[in-house]
Amino acid sequence: MNDVRVGARLAFARLRGPSSALVLAISALTVFAAAALEQRSNAASAPDDVLSGVAFGIALPVLAYLVSERVCDGQRLDRSVDSVARHGADRRHAVLGLLLASGLATALGGAFLVLIALLGAHTLHDASLAFDLRSSIGIALVSGFAYALCFGAASLLGKRGGGRKWALVADFAVGSGASALAALCPRSHVRNLLGGIPALCLSQTSAWFALIAISIACLGVSFVWTTE
Amino acid sequence: MNELSFDVVSHAELASVSGVLDSGSHVLLGSERDGTSSVVLLAAGIVKPAAGRVLLAGRVPFSSASARRTIAALCAEERLPTARHAAGAVQLALQARGDTRSALSVLDAAGLAHWAMRRTSDVSARETRALALALALSHPKPALLALYEPLALVGMVQERFLLDALAQLSKNGAIVLATAGRVEDALRLGGEVHALERGIWLDSAESRTPPLQLTLRIQTPDAERLAACLAGAPEISEVTQVGALELLVHGTDLKRVASRVIANARAASLRISALRQDASALESLATARAGIAHAFDAARPQ
Repeated sequence: MNDVRVGARLAFARLRGPSSALVLAISALTVFAAAALEQRSNAASAPDDVLSGVAFGIALPVLAYLVSERVCDGQRLDRSVDSVARHGADRRHAVLGLLLASGLATALGGAFLVLIALLGAHTLHDASLAFDLRSSIGIALVSGFAYALCFGAASLLGKRGGGRKWALVADFAVGSGASALAALCPRSHVRNLLGGIPALCLSQTSAWFALIAISIACLGVSFVWTTE
Repeated sequence: MNELSFDVVSHAELASVSGVLDSGSHVLLGSERDGTSSVVLLAAGIVKPAAGRVLLAGRVPFSSASARRTIAALCAEERLPTARHAAGAVQLALQARGDTRSALSVLDAAGLAHWAMRRTSDVSARETRALALALALSHPKPALLALYEPLALVGMVQERFLLDALAQLSKNGAIVLATAGRVEDALRLGGEVHALERGIWLDSAESRTPPLQLTLRIQTPDAERLAACLAGAPEISEVTQVGALELLVHGTDLKRVASRVIANARAASLRISALRQDASALESLATARAGIAHAFDAARPQ
């Protein structure tokens, strides 16, 4: 448990700093601008369009990728904890802490972006704002975790963790479809939860479970493939 | 049993290195290009050998967290855990080791407490190594202490503190392995001397080099009286008079020989007009290098 805490502390220390805040601020501004434009062009469909387009389609996966890159310090996932492993921390447990911290940061960051997107797409007196906020922030939290753990596990590939880059590309390219392969990508289930076409005709309830299953599988793979 | 073994290890500069180190002090003579840095990285379990096996008390340090917890290391290039301040980085390393002491107490013991609140981004590479050395020497009960060129940090860390800590840890049963690029440093560190020459490990019997003989050339109007004053001084192995105004003083420790000459001359009110190290010291160094090369040839498989 101590080593999990050490991994989490390492991740938060890497995320701390002005550049992280700057990235989040720029993302929030971009999402808000896109939402405001959508609201002007078609107020009725603006929330759906901005959520499935800019917020969950682009901002959240890119944010998860950047968080993953940052917490791994640009390294492979298993090598990213070397600075504490050399002093005796179990790499597996430290990686677990690192991934959980990265998942939490992405989930909260994603929820913040979704909040900004909805504030831009709705007027403040809009009756559906509260409902949209409740459901969308839930999706942002779970999918944020799933994306972070997915990119974390992919960081085990490549000399310097280049796998996470390919995971991002695969999520855009494959996850946009409805095939069996798309079911392996968080994007297809997020789309399903937002009311889009499901992968493998899964129900929305199954999409929640699929995101949780992806998260657990990625956490398990990261744990098993890392040397003690 | 506390024992560090290299079993036909090949990695970076190292070529099929085999050897066993028991508890006590060991000095590995050689430069980074000879592979001393790789030896420390492998022994500390920071990297996995490309071929062969490294074991500490029967466990592989790279894949055993409990083994790594008993290792304190100082590498050629150090990276502290990410933190805003030096104390935060040291604290995280202590937490990883399962050590409940505060970072400040560890830094204070090494005389580095004034660095505690320095931002890690402002800490130079050499200062990072000094912090890592403080962390290594603070280990309460290490099985292995693997240090790359610790004497290069003297100035930031007190030499007395470093040598006393090494002696104490060695006495407590730890394997203390320190590398040295210079014969003088190896002698200051003490312990069993091994050498690495271009990735080949020469064991202690082969690599033990005689202490370097150095010569001081002294010009004085009272050469004969000064020679008499210096006779019998423990730091001086031989005094040769060259003409009426010049002496050649031989010994092994430049600082101590020079101090003795000056002290004795001052005590006898003798004037020294010039004092310099004789160029023949280079010949001595060449002789020492030739000795290592000879051992290297002897160790090469036929």
